Amino acid sequence: MDFTFPKEYELFRRMVREFAENEVRPLAKKIDAEHRVPFETIKKAAKLGLMGVPFPRKYGGSGAGETGYCILMEELGKVCTSTATVIGAHTGIGAMAIYLDGTEEQKEKYLKPLASGEKIAAFALTEAQAGSDAAAIKTRAVRDGDYYVLNGSKCFITNGDIADIITVMAVTDPSLGARGGVTAFIVEKEFPGFSIGTLENKMGIRGSSTAELIFEDCPVPKENVLGQFGAGFITFMKTLDIGRASLGAACLGGAQAAMEAAMKWAKARTQFGVPLAQKQSVHFAIADMATEIEALRSLVYRTAWLIDTGQPHIKEAAMCKLYGSEVASRCINRALQIFGGMGYSREFWMERAFRDARIAEIFEGTNEIQRIVIASNLFRELGLRIAP
Amino acid sequence: MRIIVPIRQILDPRGFTVSRRHERIFVNREEYIINPNDKNALEVALRIKDTGGAEVIAVAVGKPRVDDALREAMALGADAAYLLTDEALAQTDAAGAAKALAKAIEKIGDFDLIITGQETLDTGDAQLGPWLAEYFGIAQVTNVREATVSDGALRAKRDWGTGYAEVEAAPPVLLTVAPGANKPRYPHGGRIMAAYREWEVTTWGAEALGLDAADLEPLTEGRGRTFPPERTLGERLTGSPQDVAADLVQQLRLQHVIK
Amino acid sequence: MDLDYLQMLMGEEEVVVEEEGEGYRNIWVVAERVGDELAPVTLEMLNQAQQLASTLGAYVMAVLVGGDETLAQELIYHGADKVFLFDDPALKDYALEPYIKALGDLFAEKMPEIVLCGATDVGGELAPRLARRLDAVALTNCTGLTLDASQRTLVCTMPVYDGEYSEVVAFSPEVHPQIVTVQPGVFGLPYRDEYRSAEVETVAVDLDGAQPRVKVLNVVAEAEREPVPLPKARIIVSAGRGMGDAEGFALVEQLAAALSGEVAGSRGAVDEGWIDEEKQVGMGGATVRPDLYIACGISGAIQHYFGIQDAKFVVAINRDENAPIFKVADVGIVADAKEVIPAIIEALEA
Repeated sequence: MDFTFPKEYELFRRMVREFAENEVRPLAKKIDAEHRVPFETIKKAAKLGLMGVPFPRKYGGSGAGETGYCILMEELGKVCTSTATVIGAHTGIGAMAIYLDGTEEQKEKYLKPLASGEKIAAFALTEAQAGSDAAAIKTRAVRDGDYYVLNGSKCFITNGDIADIITVMAVTDPSLGARGGVTAFIVEKEFPGFSIGTLENKMGIRGSSTAELIFEDCPVPKENVLGQFGAGFITFMKTLDIGRASLGAACLGGAQAAMEAAMKWAKARTQFGVPLAQKQSVHFAIADMATEIEALRSLVYRTAWLIDTGQPHIKEAAMCKLYGSEVASRCINRALQIFGGMGYSREFWMERAFRDARIAEIFEGTNEIQRIVIASNLFRELGLRIAP
Repeated sequence: MRIIVPIRQILDPRGFTVSRRHERIFVNREEYIINPNDKNALEVALRIKDTGGAEVIAVAVGKPRVDDALREAMALGADAAYLLTDEALAQTDAAGAAKALAKAIEKIGDFDLIITGQETLDTGDAQLGPWLAEYFGIAQVTNVREATVSDGALRAKRDWGTGYAEVEAAPPVLLTVAPGANKPRYPHGGRIMAAYREWEVTTWGAEALGLDAADLEPLTEGRGRTFPPERTLGERLTGSPQDVAADLVQQLRLQHVIK
Repeated sequence: MDLDYLQMLMGEEEVVVEEEGEGYRNIWVVAERVGDELAPVTLEMLNQAQQLASTLGAYVMAVLVGGDETLAQELIYHGADKVFLFDDPALKDYALEPYIKALGDLFAEKMPEIVLCGATDVGGELAPRLARRLDAVALTNCTGLTLDASQRTLVCTMPVYDGEYSEVVAFSPEVHPQIVTVQPGVFGLPYRDEYRSAEVETVAVDLDGAQPRVKVLNVVAEAEREPVPLPKARIIVSAGRGMGDAEGFALVEQLAAALSGEVAGSRGAVDEGWIDEEKQVGMGGATVRPDLYIACGISGAIQHYFGIQDAKFVVAINRDENAPIFKVADVGIVADAKEVIPAIIEALEA
C-alpha cells in the first residue's frame, strides 16, 4: 500500500495551485458579481491542457487520469467554485461521455477539440419532469434516413449556452424505457433546430451559466449516436459515476480553503483581549473540520485510484459526492461562524463560498440519489436483492 | 541554435518560517523549487525557442532530488536535461558546482547560448554566469531582461544603472537574466506527465565529467547564519517630516527592505 | 595620545607603501566610476578595507581603470594607501573585456590577498570573471565582512531569500585572492582627508585581443516597469481614506514609483474612486505578502489587516495616533501623510 502521490502529480498540483491563485482567484469575486463566465480563464486553462486533464495525450489531453483531474478540481475548488463548475461540466461529464463511449472517429472529431479546450462541452440529461428520475426523460429522437430528429427540451444544463458540443440523452424507443429505449447523441450547437432557452438566475456558482436547451426538429447525423444505440442510460450513468468523484474533489478544496481562512482570521482577530485562535471553541471547530477534510481527501483520492486502475467505483464515487458536498457545506458554515459578521458580508469571499457550496448537494444527482446508489450497491455486494 | 540553461534547485521559502527571536529556520514542509531567477532564465531561452526555434538543454548539479527540478524544466519546455550528481558533486560548493557545469557544457558541446539566472535565492551567490563566460572565454551580457536572436545575432535588453541598455553580440554568448525579468510560463499538464513518465534525465557523475575529488574540494566554508533583529511592532518615529523621512529611509536600508 | 591621530591633526600624512614581501598581500579595492565621480560604494569599500588592513597589517590598494589623477587623489583622500591608475583613453568607457584584461594582468602580477568590488552592475560582472581567471572564487553581494585573523580569511555575510536571514561564509585558507562584492550602502563612508597623500602609479595594459565583444546599441536612462500583481509584489504603497483627496492619493502613487513598488488601497480608497477594486488589499481584495508595506492614511481595521498579515515590514503613516494600524506596524509615523510622503521621496533620492 502506498498513499503518496507520484511526483508528476506533485508538480501538477503545484502548477494548478499557482494557476488558481494567480489567474483564477483575482476574477472570482468579479464573475460572481457580474454573473458571467470567465472565458479569459478558460482560454488560459486550455493552453495548459487543463480543459482535458483526464484524457490521454493522443486526444490532446494531459493524460493525468482521474487523479490529476481531481487535483485540478480540488485546487480550483479552493478559489472559485464557478470556474471549477465550468471546467467540470465541460471535462468531467460533457467530454467524458465521448471519451468513455465514443468511437475512434468521434473522439478524433469531438474529443480532440474539447480536450485541447478549443471547444466547450456540456452534458444534457435533466428535463423539467426528469431530474433525479432520469429514466423519465421525454426528449424524443426519431430516425429519418441518415438522421435522428430530436424534439424536446433540457433544463439546468451547466455550460448549455456556451457549449459547442453537447452530449444529449433522448428517448429512441418509449416502449423499452431506460433499458434499451434511451440513446446518447452528440449535438453540435450549429445543428438546425437547436436553440438556447432561458438562463437561470442562480443563488451561487454565478460565474457559470445554466441554460435551458430546446430541440425543435433538430437533425442529428446517425454517426453521432454515442455508444450503443439504446444504451444511453449506461453511457450517462458511467459518465456521472466518474463525474461524482471529481465533484467531491472540488468540495474538498472548498472545505480546505474555508478552514484555512478561518484559521488566519482566528489569528488576526482579537476578542476579550486574546486572539480567537487561543479560544478552545475555535480549536474544536478546526479540529472537527480538519478531520472531516482528511477523511474526504482519503475517500476522493482512493476513488480516483479505483477509477484510474479500472476497478469498480460506483459506490465510492457516490460517497465522494455525498460526503464531499456535505463536508464542504458544513466546513464553510462553521468557518463563516468563526468570521462572524465579516463572514456574512459580501466584502469577503466566505459569503460567496457559502452560496456556491449549496449546489453540490443538488446537482449531478441529488444527495438523496447518492444515498440510494450507495445503499443499493451495498445490498448487491451482500447478495441481498431488493425491489427497485 | 543550442541553448544551455544551468538551473539550481532550492528549498521553497513558502515551506519554512524564519524565527528571528529563536534565530532559527523552522521547516514546515520540505519542498524544493527551481531557483526563481533560473526560471526567468529558462523563460528567456524558451521564448527564443518559441520564436526562432532552438534546442534548450537544462543542466543542474546536486543531490539526486535535483532530478525534480530538471523534470520541471522539461515540462516547461526544455528538450533535454542533465543531472550532475554523485556523492562528491552533492556536497561541493559554488565553485565546484561551476566547474562541474562547465565540464558538462563542454561535454554537451556546440552551444550558441548559455542562459542562467543572475543570482541564487538560497545562497546569495551571483557568480556562476560570468564564471562560466570566463571559463569558455566568451562574451557575456548580465542582468538581461529580454533577448532575441535574429540572423544569427543576439540582441538583449539589459538593466543598466537606473535604466536599461540594448546590446548586440555574436554567439557564443553567456546571458545572466535579471531576477523577476519576466513572468515564467506554467508548464503544460501533459508535459508534466510526460516529463516523469516518458522522458529521461541523463545523469553524469564526477568521473564522467573528468573531475576528481580535489577539483570539487569546497573553497568556502559555512560559518552559520545571522538573522535580522526581531520585529518590534509599534515603534514611533517623531520629529519634522524631514527627520522622520530620513529615519525611515535609513531603517528600511538597514533592514534590507530597500536597496 | 594616539600618534597617528596627532599626526593627522597636525598636517600632511604621507603613506609610503613598502612593496616587499612574498606571496599574496594587501587589500585591493576595485574603484568604480559613475559619470565623472567615484561610486559611493567605492568609498565605502575603502573605509571597510582600512579597518581590515589594520587587523591584517596590510595596505589598502585601489585600482582605477579609466579614471584620471583627480579621482585617484580622491581615492587617497578616502583611505587608499596607493592607487594604480590605468589612464589609457581606450579605457575611458566601461567595457568588460578590456577592463578584465587590465585588472587580470595587474592582479596576476601583484597577487592581492583580498579584492573588494562593488556589488553593482559593473562589479557584479567583473568579480566572478576575475575569480575564474585567477583560479579563485568570489563571494557576492556581501553585507558584512570580518576577519578570521588566525587564518587570515575573510568571513562574509550574504543575505539570502531576499534578506530573510544571512549565510555567513568564510574563504578556505588556500584561496587567493579572496574576492568579494560588497553591497552599496551597508558600510559607512570614510572621513575625507585632503591632507592624506600617497603614490599614484600609472599603469598600462596591452589591450591586444581584449576588444569588447558586446556592442551597446542604445542606452535608456529611464527604466520601464511592468506592474506586478499585488500578491507577488515586493513593495506596496497603499492609500486609505486618510489621504483626503485625489491629490493626496497622487502622492501615494509617487512614493510607489520612487520605491519601484505597486500602488494599492484600502476599501476606503476604492470607495473614493481613487483606485480600482482589483487594487484593493484586505478581506474584500487581495491578500499580500510584500517585504515592505506602507499604509498611508489607513486606519487599519481588521478587514484591512487580514490582507497584510504576512507582510514582512509594515510602515504606517496616519494622523490619528490611536489608529489600530500602529499596533501592527513595525514603524509608525503619527503625521499628515501629505507632508511626510514628499519628504520620504526626497530622502530616497538623496
